[in-house]
Amino acid sequence: MSEVQRRKYSQEEKNGIFDGEFMPHIDSMYNFAYRLTFDEDDAKDLVQDTYLKAYRFINSFEKGTNAKAWLFRILKNSFINEYRRKSKQPAKVDYQEVETYYNSDDVDYQSTSDMRADSVKDMLGDEISNALNSLAVDFRTVIILCDLEGFTYEEMSKILDIPIGTVRSRLHRARNLLKEKLQGYAKNMGYNTDEEE
Amino acid sequence: MDMNEESSEARKLKCGDTSKCFELLESILDGEVDNSKDMLKEKLAKCQPCFEHFHLEQAIRDVLKNKCTKQAVPNELADSIRRQIQEIK
Ligand SMILES: [Zn+2]
Repeated sequence: MSEVQRRKYSQEEKNGIFDGEFMPHIDSMYNFAYRLTFDEDDAKDLVQDTYLKAYRFINSFEKGTNAKAWLFRILKNSFINEYRRKSKQPAKVDYQEVETYYNSDDVDYQSTSDMRADSVKDMLGDEISNALNSLAVDFRTVIILCDLEGFTYEEMSKILDIPIGTVRSRLHRARNLLKEKLQGYAKNMGYNTDEEE
Repeated sequence: MDMNEESSEARKLKCGDTSKCFELLESILDGEVDNSKDMLKEKLAKCQPCFEHFHLEQAIRDVLKNKCTKQAVPNELADSIRRQIQEIK
């Protein structure tokens, strides 16, 4: 994905790649951008920027390879740069910071939740969305990439520039945090989740 | 109260190694383990904590996939992108 291709595409080939391989992902791209920024205009700008960059660097894209992952990587990088440039205060959660803070090598795979599958099945879209949106951006990102967009660990590792082991542990952490949020909703819905009140 | 109670009699109630088991189950759910069908079946038949963890994790993935509404893409976005590409061509 990162190696620069020497081969130059003709104008016609460029148009073919752009329309045939890049543009079909606009829905997923916009959805990702919106879930990162929570703002329609920012999401539009981010997607637009991403496509312009994709066009500019189209010679480093190898025709027929994973265009969606390639585009998502550009979008993610644009978001990080833009986000850090735009916000005056330091970003709430820094990727590196989270890594050192949360990701020890031994991820604790104990279940942190006594929630039942049935209570999750009855959740409404809004509740799931709100729970997802309330996660820190890097945790939100891995869940979006994996569960909403269906990327593999390997693709995610390339999109996020992190090792596969880190993808796995970050995803696990993210899901545990999500479970905690959902458990709060489940309690409100009246499901008995071992409460002591 | 436990809906899985009748079917759990053959399962052990304590998992031998939740860390290892849960990591494997989550990788299976994420489609990262090839030919996992039989392995999974056996695991879920033998261990109650694994059984519960698997179904909870599966429910969460399903709900994320099916109920997180997709944000509608603004109509003019694709046109606007094409217009800007025309300009830099
Ligand atoms: Zn087990």
